[in-house]
Amino acid sequence: MMKKIFSITAIVLFFSIQTAFAEPLGLPPVPIPADNPQSKAKIALGEKLFNDPRFSSTGDVSCATCHDAAKGFADGPLKTSEGIKGLTGTRNAPTVLNAAYMKSQFWDGREPDLEGQSKGPFINPVEMGLENHEPILTLVRADRTYWKMFRKVFGLKKKEALTMDHVAKAIASFERTIISGDSPFDHYYFTNDKAAMTPAAVRGFNVFLEQGRCVSCHTVSQTHALFTDSRFHNLNVNFNSISGGVKALARRQQQDKADGVDLDVSILTDKAVAELGRFVVTGQWRDIGAFKTPTLRNVDLTAPYMHDGSIKTLEDVVDFYNNGGVVKAGDPVNSFQSGGIRPLGLSDTQKADLVAFLKMLTSPLN
Amino acid sequence: MSIINRRTLLKTGGTFVAGACLPLTNIRLAFADQSQDFTFAYISDSHIQHIKGTKFVRNWDQGLKRAVAEANLMSPKPDFVMYGGDLAQLGTREELDHGFEIMSALKHKTHYVMGEHDYYADLGEYWSSQVGKQYYSFDHKGVHIIVLNSILTDDHWTHERWANGTERMGVMAGLDDPRGSPFMVGAAQRKWLANDLKDISKDTPIIVFSHSPLQKLFKNWNFWTDDAELVQAILQPFDSVTVFYGHVHQIQYNQIGNITFHSVMATAWPWPYPESYAQAENHMPHLTVPINRADPFFERDATGWQYVDINSGKATVKFSLTENEPRTVSYDAKRGHPVDTKYVSRSKPPQNHY
Amino acid sequence: MRNIIQTLFLVAALSLGNTLTAQADEFTKEDLDIWQKEFMAVVAVGRTAFTDPNLGTNGVVCAQCHPNGANTHPETYPKFQKQIGRVITLPEMINWCIRNPLEGKPMALDDPKMVAMQAYITHERRNVKLAPGKH
Ligand SMILES: [Fe+2]
Ligand SMILES: [Fe+2]
Repeated sequence: MMKKIFSITAIVLFFSIQTAFAEPLGLPPVPIPADNPQSKAKIALGEKLFNDPRFSSTGDVSCATCHDAAKGFADGPLKTSEGIKGLTGTRNAPTVLNAAYMKSQFWDGREPDLEGQSKGPFINPVEMGLENHEPILTLVRADRTYWKMFRKVFGLKKKEALTMDHVAKAIASFERTIISGDSPFDHYYFTNDKAAMTPAAVRGFNVFLEQGRCVSCHTVSQTHALFTDSRFHNLNVNFNSISGGVKALARRQQQDKADGVDLDVSILTDKAVAELGRFVVTGQWRDIGAFKTPTLRNVDLTAPYMHDGSIKTLEDVVDFYNNGGVVKAGDPVNSFQSGGIRPLGLSDTQKADLVAFLKMLTSPLN
Repeated sequence: MSIINRRTLLKTGGTFVAGACLPLTNIRLAFADQSQDFTFAYISDSHIQHIKGTKFVRNWDQGLKRAVAEANLMSPKPDFVMYGGDLAQLGTREELDHGFEIMSALKHKTHYVMGEHDYYADLGEYWSSQVGKQYYSFDHKGVHIIVLNSILTDDHWTHERWANGTERMGVMAGLDDPRGSPFMVGAAQRKWLANDLKDISKDTPIIVFSHSPLQKLFKNWNFWTDDAELVQAILQPFDSVTVFYGHVHQIQYNQIGNITFHSVMATAWPWPYPESYAQAENHMPHLTVPINRADPFFERDATGWQYVDINSGKATVKFSLTENEPRTVSYDAKRGHPVDTKYVSRSKPPQNHY
Repeated sequence: MRNIIQTLFLVAALSLGNTLTAQADEFTKEDLDIWQKEFMAVVAVGRTAFTDPNLGTNGVVCAQCHPNGANTHPETYPKFQKQIGRVITLPEMINWCIRNPLEGKPMALDDPKMVAMQAYITHERRNVKLAPGKH
C-alpha cells in the first residue's frame, strides 16, 4: 500500500516538473519554439522585463502598461493604446492571454512569433519611444540583478554577448505562460458539466455555432477551443474611412515599404495606413483591410473591441455582426469585405443569449 | 533564341517591385517589340441571382464587386477588361441590369462575351440591347482579337422543346441537367470566322474569347463545344492562337497544335473538377494542375478573377484568388505549351486536399 | 479432435447441398428489382431536393456548387469539420449547407427529404472506396 502511494506521488511529481506549465482545461499544449525552450528562470526574467518601465524613453511605460493583468492583459477602456507622453497609436491593444497560440502576432500578423513581436513597441515613437534597442541593452548589462539572471538563463560569459534576442526570448517565454482556459464553457463542453453554464448561455452557444456563424472564424474543436482561426478578415469595421482612395494609399504604402520605411512606425502613426490591415505585410489584394481574428477567451474583460477599439460593448459587437458588418443596419459595406459576413437575422433574445455565452469564456483568476 | 533564354534578361520597369499588389503587371522581354505588349483584366461567371424585389444573392454580388474593386487597383491600368459571360444566373432583365450596374464601377473599357445564363431566357435579346454584337473582332496592338458566342445549340432544342424562355433557361442553367444540350458555335459563326480571318497574315497573333471551352473536355457539364474541331481547324493555320474561356469556374489550360487554351475563374462559385464525378468519363487536359477543392467554410474560396499579360502574342495568366495563393500560368516556349510557373507537374499539386 | 472432424464434415455436407439445390433463403430477382426501384425513387426525390430553389430562402440550389452531387464526398463521413468543431455526419453537413449558402432552415435528421438527399449523394458517388475522416 505504502509503495503504491509512493509511486503515485513520484508520478505526480514527475508530471509537475515535465509540464510545469500544464495547460488549463480546454487548451492544447502551448507550442514552444525549439530554439527557445521554457525554464523557470527564463520565465521569471521575462516577467521582470515585461513589468519594467525603464525601457521607455520617459521611464514610465512598460509592456504591462498596455497589457495589464488586471484588465485581461489589455488596456480598456482605452480605444487605442497610450504610450509615452499620452501619445496614442492606431490599434486597440490585443490581449497577451493565449497569444502564445497565435500563428502570427499583431493585428496584421506582421511578426511571426512572440519573440519578434516583443521587440517592436520599445522603439515605436507612440509606444515606448526609444530611438533603438541600445538603451535596453546598456541597462540590463549594467544592472547587477538583470546581468546575473541573463548570465544564468542563457549561459552568457561576456556582457557584450547579451543581445536584444535574449531580451525578446525571455519576454516571449513569460508570455507563453499567460494562458487561460478552465472557464465555465470549458467545464460545460469538455467535461460535460451541464450545470456549468446558465440556460441563456447554453442557448447562446447554439447561436454561436449555428445562426450566428461565429464559430466559422472563432473556432472550437473536439478537444480544445482557441476561438480563433489565426486568419485575416475584412469585417468592414472602419474601412470605409479610406475606401475613396485605396489605390493611391496602397501604392504609397508599398512604395514606402520598398524604400525601407519602418512598418511598425507607419502603421501606428498613420491612421489611413493602419486601415489597410494585413495588406501592408503581404502586398496582396486579398488582404486589403483584413485583420487577425482575436481569441474570445476573457472577451468580457477586454472591451472595447475590434482592431481600432471602435466598438464599446459586447452587445454592440453582436449588433455589428447581426447587421452584416455595419453599426447601423443598411449602412454600406466595402467591396473587400470578407465572404461570410452577412446580416444574421438574430432576435433580441438570441443576441442577449449570445452575449451571455461570451461571458462564460472568462477564466478564473489565479 | 527562345523566350525562356531571353527571360534571363527580363527587366521590370520602374522602381515599384514590391509584393504582388499593384506591381507593374507587365513583365517585358528585353528584345521584343514592347509596343505590341499589353495587359488586360478578365472577370467572368458572376451569376448575379435575383431573389425578389431589390434582393439579390449577396454572396455572388460580393464576388463581382470585389473583382471590380481589385481590377480598379491595377497599376498600370489594363488596356481593357473582358467579361467572360454568365453575368446573370437566369438571364432576367433584373439580373443583367444589376450585373451591369456593378460592372459600371470599372474604370476601364469593357468587352463582353455571351454566356448561356445570359442567353437562354430571351435568346440574348436584352443582353444584346445593352452590350451590342454577340460575336465580333477587333485589332489591338498587333493582335487580332475575336469574340465568339459559343453557347448556341441546335434549333430544335432551342425553339421546339420548351413552353417558354423561362423553362428553357431553367434547364440550361442546370449544369448537370440531362435535358440540356451541347454548346456549339454553329455554321453561321464558323463561316463568319473564316471570312474574318481571310485577310489576316498567318504570323499575326490571334486571341479568341468564348464562353465554352472550344475543346471537348467533359460532356456531362458542357465543358464542351460540339463543333470544337471545326472551329479549331479554322484557327490552326495561324502561328500563334490563344483561346480564353469561362464557364468552367476553375483553372484549366491546354495546348492543341498551335492553339493554347486558358480557362478563367468565376467570381461566384467554383465547380468541381470533372474527375470528382466518378460515374462519367472525362477528357481533362493532362497539362492542367488543378487547384484545390474549395473549402465551403470560406465563402469566396476558389473564386476570383485574373489579369493577362500578352507578350509577343503569348499569354501569362495571373489569377487573383480571394482565399487562395495566387497562381500564374504562362506559355513556355521550350515546352511549347502553357505551364503553371510554380506547379509544373500534376504529381506535385499545389495542395493535396481530398 | 473429434469435434473438428465433425465440424468439417458438416461444412462439407452443407456446401455440397448448396451446389445441388437452389440457394437457401436467397432474394429473388423480383425482390431485388422492387427494392432497387424503391431506392431509385428515393434517389429521384433527393435529386429534386438538390435542384429545388425552395430548399433554402435565396433561390440558390445544391446543384449550383455540386453538379451530380460532386465534391460532397459522402465516403469521408463521419469526419472532423474544423469550422463546426466536431466529427459530424453527412446530414449535419447538408444542414450546414442549407443554413449557410442557401440561407434556409435546417431539416430534422430523419426527415424523408434528408434521407432522400443522402440517397442521391451516395448514389452519385457509388463504387468509391470508403475513406472515413479523410480531408
Ligand atoms: Fe458560369
Ligand atoms: Fe456557363
